[in-house]
Amino acid sequence: MEAVSSKIVNILVNGNNYEVTVASNDTLLTVLRDKLGLTGTKFGCGNGECGACTVLIDGEAVNSCLVLALNCEGKEIQTIEGLASSNGDLHPIQQAFVDNFAIQCGFCTPGIIMSTKSLLEKNQNPTEYEIREAVNGNICRCTGYENIVKAVSAAAETLRGK
Amino acid sequence: MAEKFSVIGKSIPAKETKIKATGECKYVDDLPTDLHVKILRSPYPHAMIKNIDVSAAEKLDGVEAVITYKDVPNRLMPRGCARALYILDPHLRHVGDEVAAVAAISESIAEDALTLIKVDYEVLPAVFDPEEAAKPDAPKIYPEGNVYGPQYEPLHEKGINAPTLLEWGDINKGFSEADVIVEDTFEVGPQIHAAVEPHICITSWVGDELTVWTANQVPYEVREGLAYVFEMPESKVRVLSPFIGGGFGGKYLNRYHAICALLSKQSGGKKTKIRFTREEEQTNSKRFLSKQYIKIGAKKDGTLTAIYFKGYADLGGYGNFFGNSGFWGEYPAAAYKVNNSRFEGWDVHTNHFTSQPMRSVQVPATVFSVESVIDQVAKKLNMDPTEFRLMNMPQTGDVMPPLPYTANTVGYPRAELEGYPSKKLMKLVKDELGWDKKWKGWGRPVEENGTKKRGIGIVYSGYEGGFCHDGFMSMAASMNKDGSINIMAGTQDLGNSSNMTMCQLAAEFMGIPLEDVNIFTGDTSIGQYDYFGARASRELTTGGHLLLKALEEIKQKVRIIAAPRLGVKPEEVEIKGKMAYVRTKAETDALKEAIPFAELITSSITAGASGEPGSVFPETAPGKKVRNSMVAGIEVEVDTETGEVKLLNMVTANCPGKAINPEVVKGQYQGATIMSLGYALWEDFVYDENKRAYLTDSFTDYRVPRAQDVPPLKTIVLEETPDRPPHEGTPYGAQGVGELGCWSGPAVVASAIYNALGKRMQKSPMTAEKVLELIKEGENK
Repeated sequence: MEAVSSKIVNILVNGNNYEVTVASNDTLLTVLRDKLGLTGTKFGCGNGECGACTVLIDGEAVNSCLVLALNCEGKEIQTIEGLASSNGDLHPIQQAFVDNFAIQCGFCTPGIIMSTKSLLEKNQNPTEYEIREAVNGNICRCTGYENIVKAVSAAAETLRGK
Repeated sequence: MAEKFSVIGKSIPAKETKIKATGECKYVDDLPTDLHVKILRSPYPHAMIKNIDVSAAEKLDGVEAVITYKDVPNRLMPRGCARALYILDPHLRHVGDEVAAVAAISESIAEDALTLIKVDYEVLPAVFDPEEAAKPDAPKIYPEGNVYGPQYEPLHEKGINAPTLLEWGDINKGFSEADVIVEDTFEVGPQIHAAVEPHICITSWVGDELTVWTANQVPYEVREGLAYVFEMPESKVRVLSPFIGGGFGGKYLNRYHAICALLSKQSGGKKTKIRFTREEEQTNSKRFLSKQYIKIGAKKDGTLTAIYFKGYADLGGYGNFFGNSGFWGEYPAAAYKVNNSRFEGWDVHTNHFTSQPMRSVQVPATVFSVESVIDQVAKKLNMDPTEFRLMNMPQTGDVMPPLPYTANTVGYPRAELEGYPSKKLMKLVKDELGWDKKWKGWGRPVEENGTKKRGIGIVYSGYEGGFCHDGFMSMAASMNKDGSINIMAGTQDLGNSSNMTMCQLAAEFMGIPLEDVNIFTGDTSIGQYDYFGARASRELTTGGHLLLKALEEIKQKVRIIAAPRLGVKPEEVEIKGKMAYVRTKAETDALKEAIPFAELITSSITAGASGEPGSVFPETAPGKKVRNSMVAGIEVEVDTETGEVKLLNMVTANCPGKAINPEVVKGQYQGATIMSLGYALWEDFVYDENKRAYLTDSFTDYRVPRAQDVPPLKTIVLEETPDRPPHEGTPYGAQGVGELGCWSGPAVVASAIYNALGKRMQKSPMTAEKVLELIKEGENK
């Protein structure tokens, strides 16, 4: 029951600057969900095992439940809310997940889409092996991953065509 | 008679998948709360609370309420087909059982408060093996004994412990007719539901009205249980379950709902939230662990004569839903044309955490043991396993014993199977797997390469999932003046697109565009009902059937209004495309005189439907039953040095009757199949009696399948639709599809391992460690 100290942290989330007061034990996940209201990023385990809380920090997919908010000063963070365009059009990855029936309960979906985004930013033409490797940290209990692999592949194709 | 459909039979993504992809979809964890709850849990598997002091916890700044067993109503909370329980109880029945609970303004304050609660426990002897727990001298988890089954309550009162018994024919006669008899025993570990979304609940009180937001498969069960335990009318309890982040049989009414509601009440009605930690989630509910004894007899020509099954299933300290299941072991045997069968299913309390159904109940474990013995019988007869199964499996049109749900019944009616193309499914899997080329005989590997041996296996089973308990569910529909339809559903969408499927059914049946149908569900204030909820693959079949009945009634109401205007009798009026016209006329003439709804009706028309009161397993048509059939095949490679089993290729063939939304159907089969492979190979459950701890309480130690674990999977869907009106029986001949894929994993992997090694696994999951033990054992069955 030790008192926790707090500090102001400046972060860039989905292109918006935020100045947030965070406690020393606040995770990035807590700050995104509870302080910024970005609830698209999910809590599944709190231990970095399920990937439901995946966001991008400076382009890298990370489990936001394992990142202390204090360490995010000056970082650029992308969450699921930052993908669709402002007119409501889905991002090609999101569209591919919908079109390929890769979403069932949907709870793991934001995390898997963020892992996909990180993959496709580095590798525009991934093999099935590379796709499975990229989403291996994201547990999906519903789909059996078949349609997720299809969706990532389809999204890559769409993005290559752009 | 290929009928043309406009909406069903088309693969259409569910409407809500878009907001699930953008993160806008609000699950319960995304809703606001005032208070957070933490639960103090038992460190002992079996104990009695002697003293408990919460005074220091209550004084901690930020704590709003603390409850122990002393604060709960003296009423047992009823649950659907499960043991009723107190909100908190001084008798603790498993590690992790609820001791006390705190509501505070933050999770960390609530956690801190738990450390201030002082408890003196009297530690009691514990029992973990269900067979041991069934013995009269076992530690008693309940005063009347550990064997449970509500239908045996009168026996319990007399001090008699008895199993659930299901039988047909004469088992002794069956074995006396057999030329070959094989007996074997099996142990199957539990499987943890392990949804990615943890159990969650938010409650609040305004005056004497309680509102509950919870991710739940059975919101009406939550309403009934809470209304009873808090002594209030159900009309004043509203339960909302808008989106569920995975259920699989894990999310029913349980203590945490009542704990949350009581803490909320004590804090003046504030919004109060419980969200399980991952550790709590992994030690909260599971599929049973079991021991099974199987004996099967057959004649020289391969005809099965008898199947005997005895099984002990652990219910855990409480159990949830169908503790009286009779093990559900009858399904794998009822999948064969055998005239003599007997099942003894012992459902027994142990000091493990709760067992409850998980995606096809206990069937995957019993398919594992029954199919393993079927294999051994075929081997003794020197028959190819696929030929032996083809010889003994029923198919569409065969008259089979329906599953007897009443204990000790004899002479029950028999029914004809529909939508059961089992032999075609077997052929499809054999061809796709290349069986005839690869099969080298019993216990002979397909290929050997140093320490690696490849094996191939095929299994089959049948299950009666879907069309059930229509007397315990209601569905309603309202046709608006513009002809569009609102569905008010008792059903619950688990993320399996059942809402979309329901909309497709309505659009097809009414002859209107899909866009004109909307569905409202996941909220008890809709005014519908479902006692069993999203279980048993019954949303589409039972819910869809009732929906079409309600829509047919709406059509009938419009026919009566339109008939005088059209100058015909009501039965001559056709309703389609928001118009009424004369059915008997040539369509072009009829449509010219058609009356649009806008000119016919001045108010919405509503109808609701439910089955006959108490109706449990209605027939799909007189003398007919729907049953699901599936065949699965796999090729594996066993590393004889490490025991590791690599999955090379898997094929399943499944019949959904009519696939209303084909990609959704396929997705259900795929997901369930992969879940069953986790159960077969990696999802090991470890309890350390010395440490009094579940060592598999995380996703690291309890390994559910990940994207790189799964083999190339071919999912074949073969439709077979009966010829009958869409609203009589299951809608358009559709069958339940959610659980089918879950049977195959343990059985098919064990069969392929046998053919690789010449040795049979009797334990599942078949982790590398257990396979290596088998390799070293040197016994050859």
